[in-house]
Amino acid sequence: MRANDPKKVSGELFTLTYGSLVAQLLKDYENVDDVNRQLERMGYNIGMRLIEDFLARANPGRCYDLRDTADKIQQAFKLYLGVSPSIGSWSPGGDEFSVVMETNPMAEFVELPEHCLGLRYSNILTGVIRGACEMVQLEVMAWFIADQLKGDNMTEIRVKFVKRLEDAIPAGED
Amino acid sequence: MAEEAVFDFIHMEAVSYVFQGGEKVSEDEAVSKLEHMGFATGYRLVERLTRESGRYKDELDIMKYICKDLWVTVYKKQIDNLRTNHQGVYVLHDNRFRLLTHMANGKQYLQYAPRYLAFTCGLVRGCLANLGVTCVVTAEVTHLPACKFQIQVQRG
Amino acid sequence: MTKDEEAKLMYGMIFSMKSFVTKVSPVDLREGYMSYATNKYCLNLYETPSKLKFVLNTDTHAQGIKELLHQLYTQVYVEYVVFNPLCPLNKPIESELFATKLDEVVKQSPAYASRPA
Repeated sequence: MRANDPKKVSGELFTLTYGSLVAQLLKDYENVDDVNRQLERMGYNIGMRLIEDFLARANPGRCYDLRDTADKIQQAFKLYLGVSPSIGSWSPGGDEFSVVMETNPMAEFVELPEHCLGLRYSNILTGVIRGACEMVQLEVMAWFIADQLKGDNMTEIRVKFVKRLEDAIPAGED
Repeated sequence: MAEEAVFDFIHMEAVSYVFQGGEKVSEDEAVSKLEHMGFATGYRLVERLTRESGRYKDELDIMKYICKDLWVTVYKKQIDNLRTNHQGVYVLHDNRFRLLTHMANGKQYLQYAPRYLAFTCGLVRGCLANLGVTCVVTAEVTHLPACKFQIQVQRG
Repeated sequence: MTKDEEAKLMYGMIFSMKSFVTKVSPVDLREGYMSYATNKYCLNLYETPSKLKFVLNTDTHAQGIKELLHQLYTQVYVEYVVFNPLCPLNKPIESELFATKLDEVVKQSPAYASRPA
């Protein structure tokens, strides 16, 4: 049998590393809700750094509305995870949308054991979205509404616009 | 695709996670968690890379595999120098170890460098374990971004 | 003046300048680059969409500063701060490697070479 393509395996490296990290968190915390929270927080930290890499690497320009933001999230998923999610299910007010993946590279090779059904395995992604958006002055909320690990036929993250963040006013002026 | 950036960031968070309690955290315990995550990753990674372990003719051949194929897959370059005493000790020199190249050129941050090598020590140990070699892996840095990994094979 | 005071003054000045320009400019400012010149010097500002501000004061003849500042962001800041886990993003940058690389890139720029003797 031939060895797997090393190029593909190098993409699997982060998937496996992430898996080991989640396993460690499950060992450290008794409650899966704490694991979910911790994953989101890690994602948030990553998002704050990843956005700079994305801006430097892809030079995506500024966002003028939430549709722009959604397009750029799609572009970033492609660049960093190698998948092209679809964007859709816009709310009537245009302040909420879904990012839908047919395959989720974070969760490749994963099966959730019975006692971990409350685990939102890929929750790091919601944190990344929140952290990255915050750095470009967009406060958003992001959460999973469908997950293939839980038997859904796709993986879906919902993103909701909260508010625009402004420049800090210099000390002594207001 | 920019998957190496994703790995870098996940690794960065793994390190900061195990040390997140600040001064209360025992260095040994934190490092051993990282080592453990590395082991689990390496053990499974080698399965993805090579489906049969029987194709290596001896231990040295396996070490060469670690220095070339594995290192290129994970760290985008080969190990610069491999030495052995032919009694089960192997020393792998990497003159520009990828996880240290963004950090420093010299001795700045030297005291923190071992934290960024622990995962890799585990990764190497995990790969070797899956290829049938039981060993202890340690790392040493004196001048970033160079470092060396010492593999000590445990014989039955 | 301490570095800290200088930074505060600079931030205040840029803040005012930006809000002034946004109010009086007939066109939308999309580029993230701005500069003004006096008869003595030129202040150049490059601001990323993430609101990082790169400021460089030059003589009034310097060319290509916008490109230089963009390069400092993509090749120096991102490489040696963003990918250095020991550099917190919200604290002054202490990395010596960052300083070295910054220096290298600035010295390679045509604007540096062409400074009046």
